[in-house]
Amino acid sequence: MNSAFVVDNLSFFYGSAEVLHDVTMTIPEHQVTALIGPSGSGKTTFLRCLNRMHDLMPGTRVEGKILYDGQDLYADDVRPIELRRRIGMVFQRPNPFPKSIYENVAIAPRLNGYQGNVDELVEKALTKAGLWEEVKSKLKESAFSLSGGQQQRLCIARAIAVAPEVILMDEPASALDPIATFVIEDLIAELKREYTIVIVTHNMQQAARVSDLTAFFTVETTETSRTGVLVEIDSTDRIFSNPQQKQTQDYVSGRFG
Amino acid sequence: MRTLRDRAFWGLCFVGLAIIATPSIWVLITVFAQAAPVLDWHLLTTTTAENGLLNAVLGTLYLLVGVAVLAGIVGIAAGIWLAEFGTGRFARGLRFCSEVLAGMPSIVIGYVGYITLVVQFGWGYSYLAGVVALSVLVLPYIVKTTEVALRQVPTFLREAAAGLGLTQTATVWRILLPPAIPGVLSGLVVALAISTGELAPLLFTAGFSNGYPPLNWFGHPVPYLTDVIYTDLSLPGATAHATSAAAGAFSLILLLLLIVAGRLLSRRARKATAQMSL
Repeated sequence: MNSAFVVDNLSFFYGSAEVLHDVTMTIPEHQVTALIGPSGSGKTTFLRCLNRMHDLMPGTRVEGKILYDGQDLYADDVRPIELRRRIGMVFQRPNPFPKSIYENVAIAPRLNGYQGNVDELVEKALTKAGLWEEVKSKLKESAFSLSGGQQQRLCIARAIAVAPEVILMDEPASALDPIATFVIEDLIAELKREYTIVIVTHNMQQAARVSDLTAFFTVETTETSRTGVLVEIDSTDRIFSNPQQKQTQDYVSGRFG
Repeated sequence: MRTLRDRAFWGLCFVGLAIIATPSIWVLITVFAQAAPVLDWHLLTTTTAENGLLNAVLGTLYLLVGVAVLAGIVGIAAGIWLAEFGTGRFARGLRFCSEVLAGMPSIVIGYVGYITLVVQFGWGYSYLAGVVALSVLVLPYIVKTTEVALRQVPTFLREAAAGLGLTQTATVWRILLPPAIPGVLSGLVVALAISTGELAPLLFTAGFSNGYPPLNWFGHPVPYLTDVIYTDLSLPGATAHATSAAAGAFSLILLLLLIVAGRLLSRRARKATAQMSL
């Protein structure tokens, strides 16, 4: 199994506060890796390190190393913009652009200089996101006319249209109802054939259902600080049936968090 | 007790409203009543040389176009920069300058414009000097409204754009500006409304003429409405006074048109943002 990301002693700082401490893990290609843990354990912070989303916010700093495809993501010659075209992201709340359904999917490839047939690309991306049948007759309508679950699949289609290798998902179903959630989970199972997927979730059943690997994060609290740490990463089966660490056991069995 | 205090409060609000409404209605009535003796079509068919206003109306519109272009481009660009790229000391400095400019007496801008543009640069009383002076006066409004309109675009759109690997330029032009445009435009309208009513910055820079607005931007003075208001009121004679009022009436009509346009645009801006907050 090839590795997509190799994370080596990664720590993350907001100003002087260390919010993520010394994370080391390997994320395999074409698998679904779930990040679970209580609030404040740094799962989302970690996820956002993987495509350098934190660059948008001044006053943040990374220590340690993330290798993607053998390359240091934080090296000086890496352009975050190009990186994010290879490592796409789906956010916690559906965030379509205030444009038509078609335009939402087409805009990034067009602006990034896509040379092929955009109509075909839009259809392909919407099909992969399992949305084509529902929207093919109303592509010119506003993206806001869709339900929340449809909007989230539109955002997945939008991410797919850029042809990434990895899709990072930050609690992609947390704002959706149970049925829309199941649709998204099915979709994740489909997508992992083509993409490496890393997903943050608060919902342990969801992690158990969709992921191959699970990383459990927790929060270490002192009087003055709250720092997220990685407790362990293992196959999802083992994390939920026979974890190595007692903390993990307590969390997945519902005794904590 | 409670209802009494309630009533007192609402009474006070009403009095405040009346105090605001009275002068604006009073001004409208007075201006149109004073202008009544001369209000007919000859105002719009003859120049100020023959007691008409055609050249002044055209000149004011001509100046507004110049201000819209010059102040519009510079102000919107500065607003975009402040909203999206402006962090640190330089941005704070720029914001401070803009605020100082907003409080600058317009006659000072006119005077400095005269010393610099008209005399030192040798432009003479001219269209360009007038446009530059007016633009400097209204720039802060455009900068501020552009910055605010862009900042009101929700963060999740910025994140979505970044997550797709869009460049910062593409993000600003294609993702952030479209929903901000109605807000930006209504700032521009306020700037133009202010320009319509200003005399002081133009007096020393655009000069005045009884002819039509010149196509040459240098060395030729420009006619405009506010000068007619001022000059004709200081002339003796009932016709001159009525013409002064008529020029005022035309300025007010222009102003009202601009305010209505501004209202319509802000309404569209509010609708666009309401739609976005899912």
